[in-house]
Amino acid sequence: MIKWFVCSLAIALPCAAQGTPEAKPEAKAWVIYADRVYTGTGTDFEAGMVAVGNGKIATVSPSRGSDDDSSDRVLRCFAVTPGLIDASVRITNGSTSVEQSDEIQPGLRVATSLDPFSIAWDRQVRNGVTTVLVSAPDQNVIGGLSVVLKTAGAESIAARTVKNDAVLRGSMGTQPSQGNHPAFGRPTDFYSRRPTTRMGVEWAWRKAFYDAAASAADPKRAFNGSDRLIAALKGDLTVSIQAWATQDIRTAVFLKEEIESQDEFKNGLNKPRFFLDAAAEAWKEPQLLVRSKIPVVLPPFPAQGRTRDNAFMAWNTAEELRKQGVPFALSSHGSESPEDALALQAGYAMMGGLPFESALAAVTTIPARLMGVADRVGTLEVGKDADLVLWNGAPFEPSSRVIAVIVDGVMRYDARPKESAK
Amino acid sequence: MWNRTIQLTALLTLCALTGSATAGNGKIVIKCGRVITQAGPDIENGVIVIEEGRIVSIGKDVKTAWDAEVLDHPELVAFPGFVEAHSIRGMDRPNENIEIAPFLDVRDSIDPINFYFEDVLRQGITTINVQQGPMCVIGGQGRVVKPVGLTVDEMTVRSSIGLKIVAGARPGRSRATQAQALRKAFGDLQMYLEKLVQDKKDGKDYARREALFQGRDMDKDENKTGREMEGVAPWKVADFKIVPRGEVDDKQEPLLRLVEGKLMAFVYCDSGVAVNNALAMARAHGFLANTVLVLDGDAWKAADAIAEAGVPVVLGPAQMYVERDPITGKEIETFVPRVFFDKKIRFALQSLNSTAQSLWFQAAQCIGQGIDRKAALDAVTRTPAEILRLGKRVGALEAGKDGNVVLFNGDPISVKSTVQYVVIEGNLVYDRSKDSRARQLLQGIEQANAAPEAVEEAVDPHSGKKAAEEKKSGSEKKD
Repeated sequence: MIKWFVCSLAIALPCAAQGTPEAKPEAKAWVIYADRVYTGTGTDFEAGMVAVGNGKIATVSPSRGSDDDSSDRVLRCFAVTPGLIDASVRITNGSTSVEQSDEIQPGLRVATSLDPFSIAWDRQVRNGVTTVLVSAPDQNVIGGLSVVLKTAGAESIAARTVKNDAVLRGSMGTQPSQGNHPAFGRPTDFYSRRPTTRMGVEWAWRKAFYDAAASAADPKRAFNGSDRLIAALKGDLTVSIQAWATQDIRTAVFLKEEIESQDEFKNGLNKPRFFLDAAAEAWKEPQLLVRSKIPVVLPPFPAQGRTRDNAFMAWNTAEELRKQGVPFALSSHGSESPEDALALQAGYAMMGGLPFESALAAVTTIPARLMGVADRVGTLEVGKDADLVLWNGAPFEPSSRVIAVIVDGVMRYDARPKESAK
Repeated sequence: MWNRTIQLTALLTLCALTGSATAGNGKIVIKCGRVITQAGPDIENGVIVIEEGRIVSIGKDVKTAWDAEVLDHPELVAFPGFVEAHSIRGMDRPNENIEIAPFLDVRDSIDPINFYFEDVLRQGITTINVQQGPMCVIGGQGRVVKPVGLTVDEMTVRSSIGLKIVAGARPGRSRATQAQALRKAFGDLQMYLEKLVQDKKDGKDYARREALFQGRDMDKDENKTGREMEGVAPWKVADFKIVPRGEVDDKQEPLLRLVEGKLMAFVYCDSGVAVNNALAMARAHGFLANTVLVLDGDAWKAADAIAEAGVPVVLGPAQMYVERDPITGKEIETFVPRVFFDKKIRFALQSLNSTAQSLWFQAAQCIGQGIDRKAALDAVTRTPAEILRLGKRVGALEAGKDGNVVLFNGDPISVKSTVQYVVIEGNLVYDRSKDSRARQLLQGIEQANAAPEAVEEAVDPHSGKKAAEEKKSGSEKKD
């Protein structure tokens, strides 16, 4: 009750402050001429044009435009790409957002805890990221339902939502058990809960799915969020599992294969769809992922190779996965550190040998597909959302940068050099 | 355990890498597709001839010695080795507990087998100014080294280049405390020197006895004789000539050299206020002309004062300064190198060698922010060389300079290029094909159970194309 009150106050106060008539940026009809138009559809243009109207893409065509067209709706840049998409973002209240009452929380919605006024959204926009999948922190085994949001727009989470309950989020590995200890012999506190080990985490996952399957047969056995787990088993709701190291990746793969083969999950409950987040060691056994059709999201490239859970992520991980046929997205994994920015990750993947087209796909179309929003974002195609990034050089090269970002047809970041900005 | 293993491998790898450095004769001919000289126009299909560690000729058609080792790679691009203008890495530990310690020398702290020196080679850095960390008031003497050699002396390019001075606040101390400590250090120096003169006039010989006790050879000419104070400091100690130089205590002597204009000062400033304090101090003690400001935080806001003083700066690796507007709450970004570029202040970039964001990356970012390519590349080669007074030796490829060449497989600032070879003073010291650790970092550890056939069956998930045509011929699956 009190929480609700504070919550609504938090929302109401800035709204009141907003009373001053600040000019809201209007959705303009833009015409963008670029030396390179990377559409993400396989058809790129050298010297092309993208026209935007009503927040949607109206035209994409090869056209140089006339130099004397200098109206303020005309934008010129070296390259234009679709807005970048990050499938692993945690713009929340951090560890205070971890629900401690139970390690299995399939019913929680992370959307209810997000702050649309956070400065973190602006940072995402500045880095060219226009769509994100925001998940709960990974201290729970199953943390809740993630939401797909635009990084800019009206100052309410509802207005920015692209897809609610897009993904059910959970975690393998050590993180959900970290800090927990058994209650025996010490005072019961915040952290005296299960699981306390890696195997405990695995057990909790399996129990959740078996319990859900049982509840599908017997409604009396339903529990909080069991319907979401059933949806996941039916394949109606994608499950995103954080798994850094090989052993955790294997656990996730075998969990999926167990569900697909065990009798308890007959009657349509054997069609789960997984993707692995932060799968740093996916390169070690890619054939497992190919076999069970599990795509992955990669964490930021670590300078010296070591990531969380002592997983080793080589710099050619992305290229290796491409060669092995594992679909992958790149991500910042919720880091706000400048060197973990998504566009840089694409550059680093190229440093490891990944071709540009695949790098672009890994930060646009692939994550869009993983989140189930590929019909709206991820490519420059007529009718899709007008989310565009304008670059002053080859995208993802450290020697070029984002000079403007358009989200739903509205210019949300404008850092064009002054002489050309007029 | 893991650390131990790393250290051991570092030792072994470094020995392997540096083996040729000590064995080589400093004579090599490099032929490559393009030479970016940083000293004039690029040379297509250029040849660089290095003998006895120095470049003897460079151009399209130059005579080469018959007995020189030849590095013939028409597909590669030659670039001068990057120059790190200031680094606090590569030492046993960078910080010293004694507040005023100008008598220390990083020579005693630099660790030749530190992983850092191996790693900078991968990034093409061939010259590094190693300075003590910023947790002091007046630190020890830094030195310029190359990242190869089994001993510090072998590594040294120039010893005792300058002192580290910290004008900004240290953790737990106020800015005022720090400023006061600095003033006191120079006040103490002045008082000490005056006392030396007075003692000498009074016929006391404590200083001489102390010098002998410390083992100093007082018969050497430079120790035996005295001379008036040199330099341009507004203050002078009268009759200083009567004190033999050897009698000046080791603890104070480096500071005296600083005031006399014989050492440089690398003054760390974490804020604009610190810059003002630093410049005032440098003026008050006559070493403004030898001052380099090492900037951090919002120190760039004092750019106008820096321009007026005419001192060069070394910028921190966090190039984008982000602050929050106190009224709107919005973040304001300032690209720091651009500020100095626009005000025409000489600036060098500093990387701390974060592997992914080394000097090439720093320069590339500058280009993205509208600094012209030449100025951006200068900031990691020529400018730091000039700042370190090594402009005649490093920072560009031309006859007479040290034979420090880096060969890239493309544009040095592209994310798609990597360092293939590094030549330092004519010796091939890095060869990527033999760099096992880079191979691991780049390609991972080969797994015994990775199925090679998966590659053939693979479909590129992003283009949808098959990596290889599906086998239609009859071999049936055996389960």
